Amino acid sequence: MEPVRYDDRQKIVRLSTEIVTARRKRNWRKYIYCGLLLFPLVAFIFGFFVIPMLYILYLSFIETKGETNAFYSIGNYVHFFTDSYYLHSLWLTIKISLYTVVVSLLLGYPVALTMAKCSPRVRGLLTLLVASPLLISIVVRNFGWYLLLLPNGTVHQLLISLGITTSPPKLLFSEIGVVIGLSNAYLPFMILSVATSLYNIDPSLEKAAAILGAGPLRSFWSVTLPLSLPGIVSGVVLVFSMSMSAYVTPALMGGANVPMLPVVAYDQIINLLRWTYGSAISYVLLGITLIMVTIFTRMMEKGRYREVFR
Amino acid sequence: MQTVVNDVEIRGVYKQIGKNVILNGIDLQVKQGELLTLLGPSGCGKTSTLNVIAGFLDIDKGEVFIKGKKVTHIPPYKRGLGMVFQTYSLFPHMTVYENLDFGLSLRKVPKEERKKRIEQALELVKMVGLENRYPRQLSGGQRQRVAIARALVVQPMLLLLDEPLSNLDAKLRYELRAEIKRLQKEVGVTTIFVTHDQEEALSLSDRIVVMNKGIIEQVGTPTEIYEHPCTEFVFQFIGKSNQLEGKVKTVDSRMVCIELEEGVQVLVESKNMMGPERSYSIGDEVKLYIRPEKLTIQEQESEPEIFYYNKYNASIVQMNYLGSAWEIELLLFGKRVQVLQPFVKSDWKIGAEVTVGWNPSDMMIVKK
Repeated sequence: MEPVRYDDRQKIVRLSTEIVTARRKRNWRKYIYCGLLLFPLVAFIFGFFVIPMLYILYLSFIETKGETNAFYSIGNYVHFFTDSYYLHSLWLTIKISLYTVVVSLLLGYPVALTMAKCSPRVRGLLTLLVASPLLISIVVRNFGWYLLLLPNGTVHQLLISLGITTSPPKLLFSEIGVVIGLSNAYLPFMILSVATSLYNIDPSLEKAAAILGAGPLRSFWSVTLPLSLPGIVSGVVLVFSMSMSAYVTPALMGGANVPMLPVVAYDQIINLLRWTYGSAISYVLLGITLIMVTIFTRMMEKGRYREVFR
Repeated sequence: MQTVVNDVEIRGVYKQIGKNVILNGIDLQVKQGELLTLLGPSGCGKTSTLNVIAGFLDIDKGEVFIKGKKVTHIPPYKRGLGMVFQTYSLFPHMTVYENLDFGLSLRKVPKEERKKRIEQALELVKMVGLENRYPRQLSGGQRQRVAIARALVVQPMLLLLDEPLSNLDAKLRYELRAEIKRLQKEVGVTTIFVTHDQEEALSLSDRIVVMNKGIIEQVGTPTEIYEHPCTEFVFQFIGKSNQLEGKVKTVDSRMVCIELEEGVQVLVESKNMMGPERSYSIGDEVKLYIRPEKLTIQEQESEPEIFYYNKYNASIVQMNYLGSAWEIELLLFGKRVQVLQPFVKSDWKIGAEVTVGWNPSDMMIVKK
């Protein structure tokens, strides 16, 4: 190569700075375009989500005494964590959400596995089938379950006529009913997020496991399951947080017997007109959900299979 | 006569998927300790054959034996083989050490011995010190080395390599190719190597199996395959080739004389006949094949350095410099012919008239 002469070097420096400034200008323009495109949604979210949320937060720190007396305090929160009814409600909400997560994972994983193994055409069909319940309103679906699970309803009669039990458990207006309803509603989210992570597994990994001597079960346990953890985690987080904040299903299928927190908060605000206390309940619910989800994802990301999450 | 031990024996393997016949009657023997390559264009059935041996592909007809044991319907995890894949296929959630340990722990090898064997295997592929790395932290070449170590650490009956080098860049491919050859000889494991790269096949193999459209075209050593291809397909698939056409004029046990056009005749050795039909009669239309490096260009006026039976006038049409040689295109009997020359003389220019010559033994002949 020819040595670079002085003038050339000058020229090269100038050229390179020109390129940099040109790129910077173009970047500015790009940001402006991006901002313009994002503006409607950002404005919408800010106006109808962020501001109301902040307002609710503000409300939750107001305590009322009598008709006119109102002052700032953390009394609402103190009340929540000292009253056994509300603590029981919180525990119930967490318990039912965890049951829902477990049930939808156990029911959903095999479906996701089938979707990952079958041909693209069948996969498309299955995806449609799995997602199709989302096309029906959750209220309609819940009424369907309502009829099936009624005392002496279809499911009860089926259990008795098959000779499984003579005195079937209470399904409607019980925790079982709510778990059935919630799992049914959120199963598609679990299936689709697990399936997505299963699609991403290189099929030759299972071949490699097989040729090294691992049978189908061992190969699933040591290779497929750990590698699908990202999908499991996102499915669990999705289903858990949706179950924690579900209102329609607990209200319809649990009634007064299963007072989950969203139902309780609704009751406080709409029926008892205790806006400030209802706001505090909402924020407790939000906080607990966030904390649990964060702890869970952190544990998975720092755990035995942390490499999978990179 | 001494009986030869065949590590793998495949008899009449037939496989059909839908309407496509993937394997159409494959018979193959792999000798103990040899490195056998399955070579062919994509879709020829070479990978399918490997999958049949590994047990990933169920066959419709035929039998598969490994070390004399019939394994036709035994699943892959009970066959005790080692395999290296094109995409490395290291378990991404396991360290290098854990990857190697996977097969050993399944075989219930005691812990102390496992450690020793893993160390040995890593030493073999020159990867000592990287035990605790995850595959993500390794380069492509390193990953493939670990994959080879993982296949070898279980001391498999057979080592199967499915295009292990095709995801690497040219320089690494060359390096790892030599490495595989060294390893195979050092360990002495019977190896089956699948590739579509003829250079890889020629340089690595003890024997090559050339496949096309679900059948085996030819089995032979690299020199046999290159110098004496049995069929037109093998000749054209391996290396470069020039094609001429003509009619048989005379034929005897040593030589065939072919008339290319009025008054132009070439001699070809009779043993160089390719294809299924090997008896020729006068007037048969034939195709002639010759490789570019078998042709020699001489200056027309000068004294010939070597005497050739086949010697004709031609003119230079194009000259390409390849670094290690010159590729010269000639116009010979109105046809373009490529010649590979290690050097050129100063007066060989485009348009120059030269003489081109070759030996009757270097030309292959096949019936049209």
